[in-house]
Amino acid sequence: MSITLDQVTKRYQSHPVVNDVSLEIRQGEFLVLLGPSGSGKSTLLRAIAGLVEVDHGRVSLHGRDVTGVAARDRGVGFVFQHYALFRHMTVADNVEFALRVRRIRRSERMARRAELLKLVALEGMDERLPTQLSGGQQQRVAVARALAHRPEVLLLDEPFGALDAKIREELRRTIRQIQQELGVTTILVTHDQDEAFAMADRIGVMHQGRLLEVGTPDDLYARPRTRFVATFLGAANLLLGYRHGVQLRFERPGAEAVTSREIVAVIRPEEVELNTTESPEGLTPVGTGVVEELQFAGATERLRVRMSVDGPMPATPDRDDAGGNSWLLDASRTFPEQRANPLAVGQQVTVSARRIHSLPTPITSFTAIARERSAAEALRDTPFLATLAARMQTRITTRVVRTSSAPPGMPVLAAGPGARATALWNLAHGASQILVLPVGAQLPTRIVVQPGAEAGVGALGVAASLLRHIPAESVLLAVHEATTPDRERASRLRLLLDARSRALADHGLDLRTELRFGNPDDELMRELAVDPHSMLVIGLDTLAEAETARLQSLLEGPELRPVLIVRAAEAA
Amino acid sequence: MAGGRFVASSPLPGFGLTFGFTTFFLSAVILLPLAAMVIRALGIPLSDLVDMLLDPRAVASYRLSFGAAALAAAINAVFGFIVAWSLVRYDFPGRRLLDTMIDLPFALPTAVSGIALATVFSPTGWLGQKLALAGIQVAYTWLGVVVALVLIGLPFVVRSVQPALIEVRKELEDAAESLGAGGFHVFRRIILPTVLPALATGFTLAFARGIGEYGSVVFISGNLPFKTEITPLLIVIKLEQYDYNGAAALGFFMLAMSFVMLFAINLVQGWGQRRLGIGVGR
Repeated sequence: MSITLDQVTKRYQSHPVVNDVSLEIRQGEFLVLLGPSGSGKSTLLRAIAGLVEVDHGRVSLHGRDVTGVAARDRGVGFVFQHYALFRHMTVADNVEFALRVRRIRRSERMARRAELLKLVALEGMDERLPTQLSGGQQQRVAVARALAHRPEVLLLDEPFGALDAKIREELRRTIRQIQQELGVTTILVTHDQDEAFAMADRIGVMHQGRLLEVGTPDDLYARPRTRFVATFLGAANLLLGYRHGVQLRFERPGAEAVTSREIVAVIRPEEVELNTTESPEGLTPVGTGVVEELQFAGATERLRVRMSVDGPMPATPDRDDAGGNSWLLDASRTFPEQRANPLAVGQQVTVSARRIHSLPTPITSFTAIARERSAAEALRDTPFLATLAARMQTRITTRVVRTSSAPPGMPVLAAGPGARATALWNLAHGASQILVLPVGAQLPTRIVVQPGAEAGVGALGVAASLLRHIPAESVLLAVHEATTPDRERASRLRLLLDARSRALADHGLDLRTELRFGNPDDELMRELAVDPHSMLVIGLDTLAEAETARLQSLLEGPELRPVLIVRAAEAA
Repeated sequence: MAGGRFVASSPLPGFGLTFGFTTFFLSAVILLPLAAMVIRALGIPLSDLVDMLLDPRAVASYRLSFGAAALAAAINAVFGFIVAWSLVRYDFPGRRLLDTMIDLPFALPTAVSGIALATVFSPTGWLGQKLALAGIQVAYTWLGVVVALVLIGLPFVVRSVQPALIEVRKELEDAAESLGAGGFHVFRRIILPTVLPALATGFTLAFARGIGEYGSVVFISGNLPFKTEITPLLIVIKLEQYDYNGAAALGFFMLAMSFVMLFAINLVQGWGQRRLGIGVGR
């Protein structure tokens, strides 16, 4: 591996800007770190260069641990957004800077300089001052300067940010070419997805300090794992769908909820098919709607379709909440499609999807459940839930009527008297997970995960999903009782580590692990007491009394904190 | 402005008006009084003028005035830079207060500074006592002159260098570091060259102020002819003796010397700025 990051964390005033990032980059690979501004991508890049010290974790370059090594001894090349050329030096002196510092002989320096300036197509510019060059030329000088000492790693921090579109395109090509020619491992930071698609071997998407997903551009586009990546990389419609066996439907299920599973479906605008008749055979029907907007954009046509009120629900909070429940679906059509089936604003259409990708997210939607409307709304407006749903781009609905099954998605209950019984009922009637919140609870700063044995994978998945959106510290707690036989200890530990590595593989999430010996309840309480704003994610292997008795004090007091319960698949 | 047009277009209306005002203002405030002095000096027969200027007591005073001013400006260039550096680069409790205190020598009547310095540095003063034990006497020696000029000149250097240091973006240092440069190298090759024009400006201002400084110096220097007598004081002495020609001649000489020196420094600075492309943008 050329670059290895291991649980890299950087905090500013105790707020993590880079949170637990682990990543491996192959020799000669071109990786693009993509994310909105403030997502921590530049800080991560600087941490790799040694310009920022990390608070936790390790950075290795070519197998050498450089975490404590100063930037000047790491031997990387760094290119800055605003070039950072030395303005009092000529192009030649700028390019030779790293060589002069290394006391390389003059003849050798000059040869290397000529070579580099040829590489970036700036021959003959040696004696110019940076101020006599255009922005694009300055950035070429910066690239040449960063490569002078033959670094094995090249880091580029939004190198095209200050350039106009045409020069940007040209420089993009130049850098990609140079990178392939030299085979230098490269990380480029950008917020521009076109740039990422155009240059990357692999893209890593960052959001709120977390590295959410890493993959090839086409894989991330076709099979995102998170809502954020689905919507950040290209346009996407996110709908709540219901899987009944192999069938996918978009109507909200009634009493048969127990047998269906809620999913978040990603439908790219170009995969939407609009017809004035029935949905064609072979495509998944999504619903019906009325064309509200039609935009000609050259090769493609962009449409927005207002979906009927009784149709499918968006998985994200309403994008266009015009008082009613209807919402707009994005579609785009190629020129041949437009010709074959011209549409006009106001036309009634059936909507179907050619290709649907369902997100592997364990949290699809929240349903706040209470006896009275006011209580359900208080629960919905609890900062924990409201903030989390807003960050996760997830819907919250409220439910006050008693039905014969748990609501789809994740039910949310108020902590307090009776919470345990209601939680267990929901878990026994279709819910695979449930969130129990003290009304008014804030987002936690620490998440303790006690995964259980069978429920471990599910619990870790849910925890991973939460942690992507909450900048909290996370601890995986495993307790061995003194009475546990050694053989079982080993197998339990194996289960735990398996679950942990799956959380890492599936969700890119690395948790700190605490192994304790003693009474499980005491150790759990001790761990929760570390931070008053702790939350607990707990896995239940069975709904048997022996295992659920401990929920009494966790859910009903005296001390209350958010608790998320995940049951093992067969526990119901 | 490569076009070579004399009248550049400007958002302010009326080049004629503003140029006229500038000429009038400069004439009334600077040129006229100086011209009066120059005319007076040029009215003196040449041999007399040369005699007056080469009078040993006058020559000794030039040496002290220009020498002490240059030394004080040089000291300020070093320590003013350090002060500006700590004000720009670090955040510490009382930074704002310190920042404000830098300007005090601007505001204080110079005589007050002089008397205060004389009190502290006199052989019986707080610092003078200690220094006397080490065999160093500051008050009533040329050292005292330098100390006074350092005090007066400090804000010029700090205020000139501060904005330039803010300009040296952290990114430049990061760039140099990522290329393998150590701390000293970064300072010598990157920071210093970038702030050098500003440092030169600060040096010039402090130097110019030092040459002309009177109030703070006379209280601490002791004013011994040939030893601790500065040229401005000599001019005042001549005036008190109604030797207007002598005063005008010395004044003329100081004026000429100052102008030549300031002009030379200005040229150097202009060259540095062009080279750095300040004002051209990155």
